[in-house]
Parts: sequence; structure tokens; C-alpha cells
Amino acid sequence: MKNYLVGAAFLASTILGGAAFAGPTIVAGPGADPTCFAPWSPDIKYMQWPAKTGPFKIALVNGFVGNTWRIQMVKTAKAYAEDPAIKDKIAEFKVVSTGTDAPAQLGAIEDFINQGYDAIVTIAVSPDGFDRVIKLADKNDVVLVPFDNVLDTDAVMQVNEDQLAMGRTWAEFVLKELAAAGKTSGKLLEVRGLAGNSVDRDRSLGIHEVLDASGGAWEVVQVVGNWDDGTAQKVTADAIAVNGQFDGIMAQGGTTGVVQALMDAGHPMVPIAGESENGFRKLVAAHSADGLKGISIGQSPGLVAIAMKAAISALEGNPMPQLISVPLPIADYNQLQDGANYWSDLPDNFFTVNEFPPCGVNVSGPAIMAQSEANTN
Amino acid sequence: MIGRWLAGNRGFAVAIALFAVLFVTYNLMHTRGFSTAVLVQNANESVAIGFVAMAQTVPVLMGGLDLSVGAVMTLSACIASVMVNGTMGEIVFGAFVTLLAGTSFGFMNGLLVVYGRIQAIIATLATGAIAIGLALLIRPEPGGDVDGDLGWALTNTVWDFADTYGLAQGGEAAWLQPFINIPVPLILQFGIACLVWLPIKRTVTGMTIYAIGSAEGAAFVSGLPINRAKILAYTLSGFFASCGGLYLAIQTSSGNADMVQAGAYTLNSIAAVVLGGTALLGGSGGVIASLVGALILRVISFYFRILDIDPLLQPLIEGLVLLAAVSFGAGRTFSIRNRLELFR
Repeated sequence: MKNYLVGAAFLASTILGGAAFAGPTIVAGPGADPTCFAPWSPDIKYMQWPAKTGPFKIALVNGFVGNTWRIQMVKTAKAYAEDPAIKDKIAEFKVVSTGTDAPAQLGAIEDFINQGYDAIVTIAVSPDGFDRVIKLADKNDVVLVPFDNVLDTDAVMQVNEDQLAMGRTWAEFVLKELAAAGKTSGKLLEVRGLAGNSVDRDRSLGIHEVLDASGGAWEVVQVVGNWDDGTAQKVTADAIAVNGQFDGIMAQGGTTGVVQALMDAGHPMVPIAGESENGFRKLVAAHSADGLKGISIGQSPGLVAIAMKAAISALEGNPMPQLISVPLPIADYNQLQDGANYWSDLPDNFFTVNEFPPCGVNVSGPAIMAQSEANTN
Repeated sequence: MIGRWLAGNRGFAVAIALFAVLFVTYNLMHTRGFSTAVLVQNANESVAIGFVAMAQTVPVLMGGLDLSVGAVMTLSACIASVMVNGTMGEIVFGAFVTLLAGTSFGFMNGLLVVYGRIQAIIATLATGAIAIGLALLIRPEPGGDVDGDLGWALTNTVWDFADTYGLAQGGEAAWLQPFINIPVPLILQFGIACLVWLPIKRTVTGMTIYAIGSAEGAAFVSGLPINRAKILAYTLSGFFASCGGLYLAIQTSSGNADMVQAGAYTLNSIAAVVLGGTALLGGSGGVIASLVGALILRVISFYFRILDIDPLLQPLIEGLVLLAAVSFGAGRTFSIRNRLELFR
């Protein structure tokens, strides 16, 4: 107890004094395994933690649970923890889902730090507010790795796909298809994701950046689909009922539902940019000749595996980029191939992009979602 | 004496016992159980839900319901994320404005229910949406700049608090030593609960809140100040909810107009009220009891971090444990003499 207080005293005084405290040191690049852990940009800094010997205790602190993506992510994490390549490096792997409750998520992270876990990977429920757990993680040399919904800070190592680039690519594709059809202005539908987190914000920023730069008179109708097929279908149907016809659509998620709403309303098939749901890819493959020219870019649930791998690499003492960029898995209507990047004989509701061969993450979407609950454990 | 208290507060007593068992077992199983670090962590995680549960209790005591508590907490957190920084004077002023905003919001709920004659559920459902709308206006994107020292001081032990602000010789003063390991959030939470609720409960208006829940007609013909009590109940609800929001903003040094989180807190507040032994029909229970109910709710989820439970089964198990706990609290139905009592 006294030790703890002395530690706390040291920590408090160093923070207040603005001096350096325990945690990663900033080092010069390049980092370990750059094909897998690609730095976000050339000027990204590199972090190095004191090397520890494994096997390590790792925890996954998930927030919201209850959509297919999160379930696929959790299953991927559990399957990857059993992968022969890293199984021996993990002593214990624990998963909790706290719901969209910031104090509960912060509490869970702090609890795992108290329990002596070596690394914690997490999908943050809010891009802000983690100052306290970052301090505590640094003090205890715990590697905290936010991925997917990342934090607005450069004090921790993070793993993500470039959401701004994803938004830009979506908008560029739709504009390109519209230009090919001779349209340089018109009405677009933007289906947004879960309000209030960084992924939704950045994707939308990317979309609007490209639209604004194009100089065309684009009228954008925004609806909130929460990255969910049912919600997206409903709000798309409402938007069509209110606004009539759209020239193009950009949907952050729930894209199968968006297309379903188009078909139900008898809306003509238009260029569409969306996520990587199997159902969306199936529909694009079937209807691209009718005008449903689609691009599908996925936020892969397999990001969790890369975050886990990065955490282990950091624990082994390798220099790591502070922000790790995982390449966008892109497929447009010309590139879709049944059995390769979509599966016409499998259900709609799983995410087609899951594996990252350069990182040795080979857990495929159909494989993981086809397994029953009993088999994954 | 104890026997009489038990007879009158059966639900509360069950809640305390249940919490004690769950919490001690959790600490026994935890690798660093019974340490200050674990207690501080547990306390921090429980403050916001504790305050929101307290906020929900007061309207429930008179047979009402406040569906805006989570939203008022969120609104207050967003206000605090803008206001609570700068000099010590500015911080205190910001905290005051935050609490005043939440309290006024509760007062407005009370006016709507009493003079607008709108049913509480519908009135607070609507005002909850208004609160979220205002929160989004204030903070369209998550963020904020709450004073970091304040955050560190209030989310740690008394020693850290004294050390941060150089009080009591930086926490080394002899008189402070018995208290240094107590988490500040616990003091804040139980302090506000006792200092605000216990005195109010003993006033005529306070007792009228219970009387309305027991039998509103009887309370009316007895000449009790019904309207005043109802307005007070919703005002207190707003006050407690804004305490939760203020703490949430300080804890996360930011604000986030998160609608889903607001909804989850409102629902959990009702669960905490029931777990604490307060009757949903009103008339019996109390604010401190709901605080214990909120702690039970939290401690159940603590177990998922030390046990190996499939993550996809966790919500199911949490629900089952909750149902069992509530059923256990309703055990009195087996011991009543007259079945008519059930219809009270």
C-alpha cells in the first residue's frame, strides 16, 4: 500500500511538474515489420516500450456490442489468440464488452491495468477522455492499443484504416461514375454512422472534402443509419419518400439495407459507395449492369488481430509507429469475384474483408462467421 | 431497534447484504483485491451511475418516473466540458453553472408535470430529447478541456487530492493520515447524498414525496403541499443528474453528447432503483438505497473482468443476475398475511 502511494506521489508530481514519466520512449524509425505495421505518414513518431519476456496477458475491452461487425471482431480476436503463430506468446486473453458507457470502459481498462495485464486493445467509445487511463498505463508499462474508433491523441499507439481516405475514395468513385454518365451536379444521399465517434466524423469529412473540391453543385441529404442494415434501410426509404430521386449514394454502413430500400421504392439504380457487407457485394454483382455501379471499402473486423499483434510486438521491445495504417481493402463492381471477395451462397450479414496476409492474419470472414458459437470456444 | 429498522427497510437491507457479498467475493478473486487502486477504480466507475440512480429515485418515490435523467447528465457533462477550466474561481463558477443548469432543467420538468398536467413519463421523455438536443448544440463533436489537475485530484484518493493542491502539507499532515486511502469519488457521492437528501427527507415537503407515493388522495385531503413536493422531486432529480454529469466531465476531461449512453444510463437508473429496494409504485425506499443498487449493478459487471465468460454471453448473464436479484428483493410477497397488500 505504501509502495502504491509512493508511486502515486511520484506519478502525480511528475505529471504536475510536466516532466517525463514512465511509459514509452520516443525513438527514431523505422519500426518492426513495416509491411504489417505501416506508419500512417512519413512524419509519424515511433514509440518503444521496455522489452518484457512473454507470454503476455492481453485483454480486449470492447464498447458497444450487438451488431455483426462487433461480433465478427470478437470472434476474430478469439480465433487469432489461438493462432499457432502467436498462441505461445499469450498467457491469457480476456474479452469484455462494456456497452456505450464511458465510465465502464475506462473502469474496465483500469481494472485490467490493476490486474497486471501487459497489453489492452480497445475500441474507444469516445475519441476523448482517456487521459487518466493513459497515465496509469504508462506508469505501469502497459501497452494500450485503441483501434477502429481511435483517440484524438498521439500519446498511445493506435491501429486503424484511414477513415478520411475511405470517405474521399467513396466520394471520388461516385463523382467519377456520375461524370462518366455526364453529371457534374445533382442530389446525393449520405447515410452516416453512429453519431459522436471519430470514424463517423472522419468518413463524412472525407466525403465532403472531395465534394467541395469538385466544384459541382451537389446537394447532399444526410441521414443517420447507425451502420446498421435495418436502420439504414428505414432512413433511406424515408429520404427517398421525402426527396424523390438521388443521383448517387454514399453509405457508411448498413449498405445492404440501403440498396434494399432503393429496390423497394422502385428508385433507379445509381452509383453507390458503401461498406464491405457480403449482401451489398452480392447486390452490386447482380445489378451493376442495371446501373448499380458500386464500390465497396471495408473497415475490417480483422483490425483487432493487427492491434493484438502490434501490442505483442511492442511488448517485445520493438520500436512501433505511433499510428499504424492498415491499407483500405477496396473492391469496385469490376473487381468482384464470387468465392474470392464475396460469397453468393453465404448470408448477407458478415463483413467480407477480414484477413491481412502481410500481417499473417489469415482468419477469413466466412470461416469465422460460419462457425457455431460452440466451435469457437 | 435493528429489528424495527430491518422490518421497515427490508429491500435496502437485502441490497446492502447482496452488495457486500458480491463486492467481497470480487475482491477475494481479484489479484490485487482489497487494495486502494482497485477501490479507486471501482469508485470512479460507479459515480455517474450512482448519481443518476439517486436522481431517478426521488420521482419514483412518489410513483413518478423521470426518463430525462440520462439526458440531463449528458447535457450537464457537455456544459461542464466547456465551462470547467481556467483559474480556480472560473472552475468553481463553471461547476456552479453546470449544477444550476441541471437543477433548472429538473425544475422545468416539475412545472410541466404539475402545472402542465402532462404525465411524467411523456413530459420527461420529451424534455430528455430537448436536453440531448441542447447537449449536441453545445458539443456537436466530443471533446472539451476540463482542468486536468481537477480531474486527477477528484478521481484519486484523499492523499492525491491533498498532494495535487498542496493542502494539509501535501497530504502528509498527521490528522489526515487515517483518511488518505479513501477515494475522493466515494466521499463526494455519499457526502452529497447525505448532505442533500437526508435533511430534505425530514421536511414536510420531503415527507410529502413519500406520502404521494403511498396514497396521493390521502395526502391531498390531509392538506399536504402536493404541488410543491412534486416540483421539489423533479428539481432534486435534475440536481443529482447534473452532479453525475459534472463528475463524468471531470473524470473524462471532456464532454460527449452521446445519445445511446444517455439512454443506457436512464434505463440502468431504473434498474438501480429497483435493486436498492425502492418500490416502483412509490411510497417506500430512498436515495441512499438506490446508490447501493447502482453499486450492485456495477459490481456484477466487474466479474466479467476476472472470470472467463464468453463475451457474447455477458449481456445475457448480466440480465439473468439482475432478474434474480430483483426477484430476491421481492421475496416479501411470500410472507405477507393478506393478499390484498399486494395491490397497494
